[in-house]
Amino acid sequence: MTSKNIGGGQKILVVDDEHMSDLMRSVLRRLETDGFKPVVVAPEGPHVTGDDYETQTLFAMETERPSAVLLDVRFGEYDSDRFKGLSILKKIAERDSAMPVLMFTQYTQGPYRDTAVSASLSVSASVDFIDKLASPEEVVLRLRRLIGSAPETIKIGSLFELDPENAAVYAVNDGRRDLIREIQGMKLEILNELASAMYRSEGELVPFSRLERFSEGEDSRASLRVRIRELKVSLGKAVSREFGANELIINVRNRGYRLVNPTD
Amino acid sequence: MNYQTLKILKYVGIAVAVIGLLFILLSPLIGESISAGTLWYIEPIAYVGAGVFILGALIAFGIMQYVASRPNVVPDDRTWSQVTQDYFDTFAHDMGRPLRRILGKQREARALLNETGEVTQHMVGELLDEIENQAPNFRLMIENVRVLVDLEDESAALAVEPVDAAAIVRNVSDRYTPIARERGLELVWWCEPSEFGLVYGDGSALDHVITNLVDNATKFAEGHVEIRLTRSDDSFLVRVWDDGAGIADSHLAHVFDRGWTPELSARSEKQSSGLGLFIASSLSQRCGGELLVESQQSNGASGEHSTTFTLSLPLDNRPSAVK
Repeated sequence: MTSKNIGGGQKILVVDDEHMSDLMRSVLRRLETDGFKPVVVAPEGPHVTGDDYETQTLFAMETERPSAVLLDVRFGEYDSDRFKGLSILKKIAERDSAMPVLMFTQYTQGPYRDTAVSASLSVSASVDFIDKLASPEEVVLRLRRLIGSAPETIKIGSLFELDPENAAVYAVNDGRRDLIREIQGMKLEILNELASAMYRSEGELVPFSRLERFSEGEDSRASLRVRIRELKVSLGKAVSREFGANELIINVRNRGYRLVNPTD
Repeated sequence: MNYQTLKILKYVGIAVAVIGLLFILLSPLIGESISAGTLWYIEPIAYVGAGVFILGALIAFGIMQYVASRPNVVPDDRTWSQVTQDYFDTFAHDMGRPLRRILGKQREARALLNETGEVTQHMVGELLDEIENQAPNFRLMIENVRVLVDLEDESAALAVEPVDAAAIVRNVSDRYTPIARERGLELVWWCEPSEFGLVYGDGSALDHVITNLVDNATKFAEGHVEIRLTRSDDSFLVRVWDDGAGIADSHLAHVFDRGWTPELSARSEKQSSGLGLFIASSLSQRCGGELLVESQQSNGASGEHSTTFTLSLPLDNRPSAVK
């Protein structure tokens, strides 16, 4: 799901004294490919300390108006800056308690994290922690959830686009979006349910208990199966294809259904 | 019954058996003969001796069987240096495997480079994937060692906070999805009810236990791994299921043993359980819950095989909470 569409041009303030490291550069690159605008806080001068980062971060909060902040816990080699990130976090929260902050740490768990958590509990900011070794994909995923904004459109591979707001699903043919009129009402709701789960987390399954309201009659699973088959046929027709049992919408070992990105 | 009593009983059994044996051997000297001169010539005391021997042997054998079936009964009387040595051996063993895989790919590429002066793009891709996919292994190992040290301090308090359990399962799933894909596995998760809500517990411990279980499942699964989160009135359950070959009943009791056991690792390199499951089990007990394992091997009629780990933890683990 690499797409400019995910970030929607939102600004992400990146506060980390190691922003030039390969590890951070890969994160910055990933943010850009996913349509975010990373804004790196980089104080200049001969002896940059944690305090310089703090001042510049708060300044950038005002001038750049970011949608979220990526913040490292530890700054520099000085012992006094060991938890500088936490003090920056507090200051951010004092100014804007709703600001989502994703904290980078090499100690996601354990005493460091506990210190971090207890320090942040006094503030009401929405904070999450992530291991600095996490993959760039993981960072973007967490950031996206932390910001929590619903996407305007959910892309299903390169073939379909779902617009939950306007209750419409489109087939994408050679860059042209065609509304699939056949998919409405319950079928659209089922698709929306499946697509939202996939958007939240690739491995998320929608269990039968969640889909029961879309079925009727004595054998609810059978009626659901029929609906899903119809949905699959309608989607297939729109792109002149036929989707097999292990494509697009799959029944996972009779636990529920999940959507998988179709191959081109 | 504690281990000391069992141990004494075992020696009593052995002593009784030895007395019985002595009776049999000494019967010509201490007993009176009956049926003298016939084929059935025997000392009656020998019958008593045989009876005593069988009784003693049964007691001793029974206790040994009982102790063998319950590894938890045996106290750990290793010294601290032995314990750390064992940890280190396990750690070195766990560390060696991912390292060998990365080095293998790297040396293959290096050899090709020396021979032909260039490396195929395919090979570079494989090497990079291998490194990326082994990274979570190293991350988990670093964490495991830290948790091990923490577990030694039994007085340490839990960091109980409101925790979004579904978010933790989702994070673990996201972390392992690329690895599962690489190994040709389908990893899925879900929670029931869908709006799972908050629980009160130690979030980092929960994350760590689930990570170890999922890591284990992705190592053994043949095609599918499932993580399911459910709740009851006072507890919540995380069930991690895989369709791997399953664990033999005789090994099942040892799955949560501390560290790597030679018989476990002898089955195959891949099957070394390492420290992960021991840590997962200890950590869940520390959090007021428990971790259970069930396994089915394909010797049944259906030919199906799977392993299920079920973690159950209290919904509210605050000290003030009414239990």
